[in-house]
Amino acid sequence: MKLKQKWDAGFLEKYQVMAPRYTSYPTANLFHEQFSAEDYIKACGKQKNCISPISVYVHIPFCERACFYCGCNRVITRDRERIQNYLQALYEEIRLRGKLHGHRRVLQLHWGGGTPSYLDPSQMTELMHELAMNFELDGSESRDFSIEIDPRTVAEQSIALICGLGFNRISLGIQDFDPQVQKAINRIQSYESICRLMVEIRKFGFDSVNFDLIYGLPRQNCQTMDKTLDQVLALKPDRIACYNYAHMPDRFPAQRAISSTALPDGMEKIRLYGMISSRLIDAGYVHIGLDHFARREDSLAKAVEEGKLQRNFQGYSRTLANDLVGLGASAISEIGHCYAQNAKDIQAYLAALDKGNLPVAKGMELNDKDRLRKKIIQSICCNLSLDTEAIEKEFGISFRQTFGLQLESIKAFEKDGLVKWDGKVLRVSYSGRFILRNICMLFDEYLYNSPTSKFSKVV
Amino acid sequence: MSGVESDVIAVNNGPKCRHSPSTSCGDCRLSGICLPIALQHDEVARLEDIVNRSKTIQKGYTIYRQDQEFSAVYAVRVGCVKTMRTTQDGKEQVTGFYFPGEIFGMDGISKNRHTNSAVALESGAFCEIPFDRLQELSSKLPSLQRHFFQLMSSEIAFDQQLITQLSKNSAEERMAALFLSISSRFAARNQSGLRFRLPMSRGDISNYLGLTVETVSRILTRMQQAEIINIDNKEVEILDIEKLRMSAAVL
Repeated sequence: MKLKQKWDAGFLEKYQVMAPRYTSYPTANLFHEQFSAEDYIKACGKQKNCISPISVYVHIPFCERACFYCGCNRVITRDRERIQNYLQALYEEIRLRGKLHGHRRVLQLHWGGGTPSYLDPSQMTELMHELAMNFELDGSESRDFSIEIDPRTVAEQSIALICGLGFNRISLGIQDFDPQVQKAINRIQSYESICRLMVEIRKFGFDSVNFDLIYGLPRQNCQTMDKTLDQVLALKPDRIACYNYAHMPDRFPAQRAISSTALPDGMEKIRLYGMISSRLIDAGYVHIGLDHFARREDSLAKAVEEGKLQRNFQGYSRTLANDLVGLGASAISEIGHCYAQNAKDIQAYLAALDKGNLPVAKGMELNDKDRLRKKIIQSICCNLSLDTEAIEKEFGISFRQTFGLQLESIKAFEKDGLVKWDGKVLRVSYSGRFILRNICMLFDEYLYNSPTSKFSKVV
Repeated sequence: MSGVESDVIAVNNGPKCRHSPSTSCGDCRLSGICLPIALQHDEVARLEDIVNRSKTIQKGYTIYRQDQEFSAVYAVRVGCVKTMRTTQDGKEQVTGFYFPGEIFGMDGISKNRHTNSAVALESGAFCEIPFDRLQELSSKLPSLQRHFFQLMSSEIAFDQQLITQLSKNSAEERMAALFLSISSRFAARNQSGLRFRLPMSRGDISNYLGLTVETVSRILTRMQQAEIINIDNKEVEILDIEKLRMSAAVL
């Protein structure tokens, strides 16, 4: 395989750096506490007459058990009362935010976690009802309403409810089908149970089903991955997100249960990712960029062709709305030129809402420079290209003058066949997709001021 | 698929009344459906204050219209209600039938606006449970709201399962699934599941199942010849429920 040979030739060393995932720019670690709920409300005030649609994200931070790899903001509990208390606060937040954004149509809705499917049927129904009471949820076919599902928490009956509540997309946390790997990450779910669930999901005609996979997990190797991929492809998911496991036990205590000796080494990880992408592409999937794949006929793959892809905290999606309202502990909103993040700590989140305040804990307002760089990074991630003339026109700058240093580095990338630069448009090549984050990093103004250990390795 | 039979609401074992319109919630035959078991006597009285109980209605009465704002859910006390919506090309699509003890109006819950209209198929009575007042009361009686959303979630799931079953299968399977659904719903409410009256017209049935009236008539004749059912105008008797299950392809 040509690709593998190339990587073997010392590329690994060269591009193996810590890099952000660029679900936002500037990255969330730069949000600061000087940005308050008042700043958020002020930003919303500027948009009072704005009627363009919005996206809504709802964070349900609870899980029944700890998956050892997880770096999400979540709480392991079986205390149903605790969940109920959180939901009461969440409803309060929904009412407060509804007053600010309730007049705008919600074309995109995503419930993430934690485990949203850990809510019982009545809680899910009530949550959707509260959202519908306070926001203008879209009922048309073109909406994107999705929910993350832990297959271990849903009965087949729940799929009917999820459909009836208006969701038209489902994302399943698969990670890996190998029993040894599943044991090592404390997430045991049989292939047969997923097959049954898929039959049920297909019966209800969901528009798309996404599988989340992770590579670089303990006990994974090319043989186990080959088999997992056989099983994945047999189930024909419409979208596949294949994340790189970032082992950062200092930051995520749950990961301490994973022995670093059981992890595949850097070279094996490269092989794993190479194998995943080539097998998925052979099977007819399109590489969307940064770990995401979609079937050619899926709306996400079509969005790539039309240049209508966006990247936000939930990963890639079709561009249906520019502003994002994040609800729940740790959720991030993006309104106008502001980011605002809710309190991560559940107690702090509950306390703010108990007083009737928006639970905004941090955030930042983007200046013109941030907006320019955000646009560039978004374009690289979503379009796999950058039209520098369009950027010059939009921001009234000279690209060469502003990014002279970056262009030097671009030339080095070009020599390695990772990008093509014709003086006007920068295009990421096939192998460049593997190091998209390295390319984005060039344009990240803050990177050299931030401690790199906070980010995960690129490959 | 298990949907048609197993997903109906729990059997009501509460005290029985002759579903007189003046019955209070505490005495109602349907209390097991509406009322959480944990509700105390004085709490039932508070619930009664907000429920518009047993409004009597004539055949053809519209309870709510498509696109109307969602403000209440409803329980059928007597009679039968059909829900329907007008499609974009102006055609009427029947979307559901509701019998005594069943709750309808949940179509509004995820958009805060009714996506269907509800019309009485025969003279009867229904209870109206206004949602804002229910929420007010629920803040004082948390178990109440939980119970209602529990009810609603199972109704929503049940509806979806039925819709899915009806949209996928052959004409014969659809017809049999509808009979089985009605049968199990009556049985779950302590009425005969083997002998019942169909309050809806053949036109409504065919519209609901996505079939022509002729096809519905032909299937009914075939089912009679096969001695699966006996049908006399609107009176239905199920003669062989096992064969009916086989026809519906649910085993």
